[in-house]
Amino acid sequence: MEVRDRVLVVEDDSSITNLMKTVLRANNYEVLTASTGAEAISLITSHCPDLVILDLGLPDMDGVSVLQQVRTWSAMPILVVSARTHERDKVEALDLGADDYIAKPFGTPELLARIRAALRHYRLRTGAGSSPQGDFFQTGALRIDYARHRVYVDGRDAGLTQNEFRIVAMLGRHAGRVITYDSIIREIWGPGAQRDNKILRVNMANIRRKIEKNPAQPEYICTETGVGYLMADGDSL
Amino acid sequence: MPLVFVLAVVVISRLTDGYFYGILGSVVAVVGVNYVFTYPYFRLGFTPTGYPLTFVIMLAVSVLVCALTTQIKQQEQVTLDMEREKMRGNLLRAVSHDIRTPLTSIVGSASAILESGDALDSGQIRALLKDIQTEAQWLTRIVENILSITRMNNADTELQTSEELAEEIVGSAAVKFRKRYPDAAVAVQVPAEALLVPMDPVLIEQVLVNLLDNAYIHGKKPSQIRIDVTARPGEARFCVEDNGAGIDPGVLPHLFDGTLPLKESDSDSRSSMRIGLSVCMSISRRTTAA
Repeated sequence: MEVRDRVLVVEDDSSITNLMKTVLRANNYEVLTASTGAEAISLITSHCPDLVILDLGLPDMDGVSVLQQVRTWSAMPILVVSARTHERDKVEALDLGADDYIAKPFGTPELLARIRAALRHYRLRTGAGSSPQGDFFQTGALRIDYARHRVYVDGRDAGLTQNEFRIVAMLGRHAGRVITYDSIIREIWGPGAQRDNKILRVNMANIRRKIEKNPAQPEYICTETGVGYLMADGDSL
Repeated sequence: MPLVFVLAVVVISRLTDGYFYGILGSVVAVVGVNYVFTYPYFRLGFTPTGYPLTFVIMLAVSVLVCALTTQIKQQEQVTLDMEREKMRGNLLRAVSHDIRTPLTSIVGSASAILESGDALDSGQIRALLKDIQTEAQWLTRIVENILSITRMNNADTELQTSEELAEEIVGSAAVKFRKRYPDAAVAVQVPAEALLVPMDPVLIEQVLVNLLDNAYIHGKKPSQIRIDVTARPGEARFCVEDNGAGIDPGVLPHLFDGTLPLKESDSDSRSSMRIGLSVCMSISRRTTAA
């Protein structure tokens, strides 16, 4: 018998809930719904969904506080959906531990791709299911060799510096997810580093010149303007 | 020589806001004049003769100049407000026109399917659904532009500029555009060395996306669109060019102010994209001012 992934949709607008329910069921997910934050938390504790789609604008509490509460005891994938479009909100949700962020309005192919990516990353992270990558990450002609600290493009060593490699490695480990500028800076230059993006920008410019054919039309490392960077993993839109 | 103090009072009143500093300056000046120029010299001595007159004159000068300054500043503010109000009015007009047309199509198509769905074959229904999707996507873009405007107006105090890589902003604008029109050819050219430019990245991206949209739609699907970024001393130049239909010289004066008159040939809602360019203009103005 096939085991279907269970998705909890937390959304107070009934037409969007209906839409998601229909789309997700048609794509072979088991769907639970909640329209308030309190209901969401009780469903998460009682039903252990495989993934939560969380709207930030809930009637009884801020979606962000649901996110924070769940993150105190679970690393389950949480996909934040919101009509808020300011980059600050995206950055906040991602930094608080959301796995991904989709702004309304979104297309269903995009939603499904993000769900697949979030589930896949979660399973890789927790080691459930076999890791197909081991010490390597491959996307297109780009190959990251974690053991040797090298990045190859078309089999040629790209010649990245230590910090450049660490940035690419970090993005590769989270491929398909947007990593905020701040979390990259914290990871590479330490928590005491200036929140100045400039040094990160300069490093990224150098990386792109080493691994991309045209740095303005990147194939591997995409920019989410005002939010962060994302390593393409073939499935993300 | 006491005129030096009068001049000082005038300058202080002119350069500061409100009355406080002006009056403070006049009091200081009165004491100064008293100290330096009246008997006993270089000592403060308040003899009744002449002193009240000096004080009154200084005070009058400072109050007058303060009043004038305040008036000038208010007038500047009023002009600025009026300009902003005018721009907002133009945008609102452009927006309500641009929104109504796609809405009509969406409402119409949806009710056609709901009410006479049985009489339509599946091909017709698909075509109507496709229209709904296209028009809704178009509305999304309009909303993005409106958001840029609110973002800018809220940003009166804090337009968030940061050092951004020109190639990233141009690249992501091109990606967004390509997602919309997969068959459009966009070539991106950036300088060989990384170019950091201070800007609000989201707003500049919006400008570029609007320009690309505009080149594609109004250039009547040009075979080539190019974005060129060049570094010059003190400036970075972003150029969006197409080899399409070109622009009628007659519309040039109104191209960016959202008041482009509708032409007979504008039967299609997407051919009257007026909001896009006026948003470009407001963002550019705002960015230059900051």
